[in-house]
Amino acid sequence: MGAVELPDQIKPVMQNGIPAIVVTCSADGIPNTTIISQVYYVDKTHIALSFQFFNKTIRNVRENPQACVALNDLEGNAKWILDVQYDHSETEGPIFDEMDMQIEAIASATGMSGIFRLRAADIYRVRSFKKVSFSPASLQGVTHGDTGYTKQRASG
Amino acid sequence: MATQDIQSNERLVEKLAQKTAEVHVLKHIALNINSTLDLDQIYDLVLGTMDEFFGFRHSIILLLEDSDTLRVVASHGHENQPLGGTVPVGTGVIGTVAKRRRLMRVNNLRPQRAYFSTIRRRMEEAGRASELGKIVPVPGLPDAESQIAIPLMIKDRLIGVFSVESREQRTFSDDDEALATIVANLAASAIQNARLYRLVEERRSELAEAHDHLKQLNETLEDRVSARTRELEQTNRELRETQVQLVQSGKMASLGMLAAGIAHEINTPIGAIHSNADVERRAIGVIRDVLQDPAFPEKLRDQPRLKHTFKIFDDINRVTLEATERVIKVIQSLKSFARLDEPELELVNLHEGLDSTLTLINHLTKDRIEVVRNYGELPKVQCYASQINQVFVNLLTNAAQAIKETGTITITTHQDGACAVIEVADTGGGIKPEHLDRIFDPGFTTKGVSVGLGLGLSITYRIIENHRGSIDVRSELGKGTILTVRLPMAPPRSYLAEDQTVTVPLG
Ligand SMILES: Nc1ncnc2c1ncn2[C@@H]1O[C@H](COP(=O)(O)OP(=O)(O)OP(=O)(O)O)[C@@H](O)[C@H]1O
Ligand SMILES: [Mg+2]
Repeated sequence: MGAVELPDQIKPVMQNGIPAIVVTCSADGIPNTTIISQVYYVDKTHIALSFQFFNKTIRNVRENPQACVALNDLEGNAKWILDVQYDHSETEGPIFDEMDMQIEAIASATGMSGIFRLRAADIYRVRSFKKVSFSPASLQGVTHGDTGYTKQRASG
Repeated sequence: MATQDIQSNERLVEKLAQKTAEVHVLKHIALNINSTLDLDQIYDLVLGTMDEFFGFRHSIILLLEDSDTLRVVASHGHENQPLGGTVPVGTGVIGTVAKRRRLMRVNNLRPQRAYFSTIRRRMEEAGRASELGKIVPVPGLPDAESQIAIPLMIKDRLIGVFSVESREQRTFSDDDEALATIVANLAASAIQNARLYRLVEERRSELAEAHDHLKQLNETLEDRVSARTRELEQTNRELRETQVQLVQSGKMASLGMLAAGIAHEINTPIGAIHSNADVERRAIGVIRDVLQDPAFPEKLRDQPRLKHTFKIFDDINRVTLEATERVIKVIQSLKSFARLDEPELELVNLHEGLDSTLTLINHLTKDRIEVVRNYGELPKVQCYASQINQVFVNLLTNAAQAIKETGTITITTHQDGACAVIEVADTGGGIKPEHLDRIFDPGFTTKGVSVGLGLGLSITYRIIENHRGSIDVRSELGKGTILTVRLPMAPPRSYLAEDQTVTVPLG
């Protein structure tokens, strides 16, 4: 079987500060795309997303745990597409603390402590990943249409 | 495969060399940081070495000022000096690290800030500005991308934050983090040591100062307390005396004035009678001379009736003169008893004083009290006779008044060293023990207002005190009382001369 393991190269991509795209799908198959400020590296087989507001993404993964995360690697003009499955939420512990601290640090300095507050660290298991390279021009073409890809893979 | 091995070997060797260098630098810091207790030297060493050897270009040290403020105490590699700037605990990366007491490494500060700022702008545009807080400026690089902030801890206590920044993304590796943590720990204990040392020094000098001050205070306090005590004792004495004097003068003034008035009233007619008698005497002398004239018939001159009349005139005149002289003397003694004349210090035979006093109070003792004069050997005593007589009057009057019906008053005198001792003992009713303390108080009397003013003994006390003598009382209820007066044979003259304000009432 051999669980899928994330390579170390993906860490800088996660931390480059470029918002990531997260695509989820409701139980009845309606997809949703959202932009998220940071994807956290938990370990070789897990990532974490911050749950700050009740939004569609949160609602969707609790109905349908399949999700797709697209990370942008500006330097290499590449996208990393991660096929992940919502595993559980953590409201304490080192991962939660780490994420919460980062949010608090930035939010407090920008006067948004009241708005940005980590409710939970949503832990996802990585099912598969894929690095897709683009030419700068084709980067413009990345659209919501990509979400269909996740949908197809969700059952796989 | 071989090339790969060589490559990885090379990498390992390189890594080892790097690690060795790090260890050396850390050792350098560790050794030097503890050789100084100067805070600025510690800051320089930490921040400078971090830059020189590890390429940490921009770093600051903040110390906790109070429970919710950090202040920048040292900075390195900042064009705009953040020194002295403050960070509220809980704000920004540094403030959050301080609040949570946990290290924090951020690799993409700028985009995160940008993201938050975008949201902020959108909210402002959407009219939700009221939900937003203030933007708090934080010291350090305004455009930092990466940052490691490490709490400076002493045991469980936060003392500050050490922060390193870089303008590049992901500058800091796990190794950097580990390194910075070690240095931060070294710095924390060095800073704490230096601060404690400074505190101890401050306290020590404060203590020394306080100690000196206290010592001084103590010394002056002791001086002042004893001086004050002396003052108070003096004041107390003066107050008591003034009180006695006030009561005395109040009650005596009227008596004295009365005596003076009486003396004056009697003095004038007595003076007239006295001088008239004298004129008469001389007039009769003139008549006698005229009768001796040869022209005067002898038969008439030798007439027995005329001779007899002359004799009567002579006798009457002599008696009148003697009587008026006696009255004048009495008035004089009345005046002196009433302190109408200044008293004179003289050598006095106390037995004579006692005798004349007994004569004066004869009306009190006559027929009911036996007076025993137990006089011993007593040379003349230097004193104010009228005052000492007043003492005798007071003591003997009290003794006589204490004996309700019949009894004995025994006066005993003797010399005891430099003192004359006069003891007046009576077989009267005695003094209640609870009154013993108060009999010398001015105004204390058990006799009722019409009989006694309660001043006799207080005046007696003052007079004896004035003579540097003493008075004691022993009494047994129902059996009798003994008052013992001791007078120095020759009291210090200066003392007696300066204080002669005792008011002596009539007996
Ligand atoms: N020899 C004594 N025996 C018993 N009581 C005495 C004797 N001498 C003094 N006392 C008591 O002490 C009180 C105070 O005496 P002190 O001579 O001062 O005043 P006083 O005799 O009452 O009045 P004053 O002398 O002014 O006429 C007296 O009232 C009396 O109670
Ligand atoms: Mg009396």
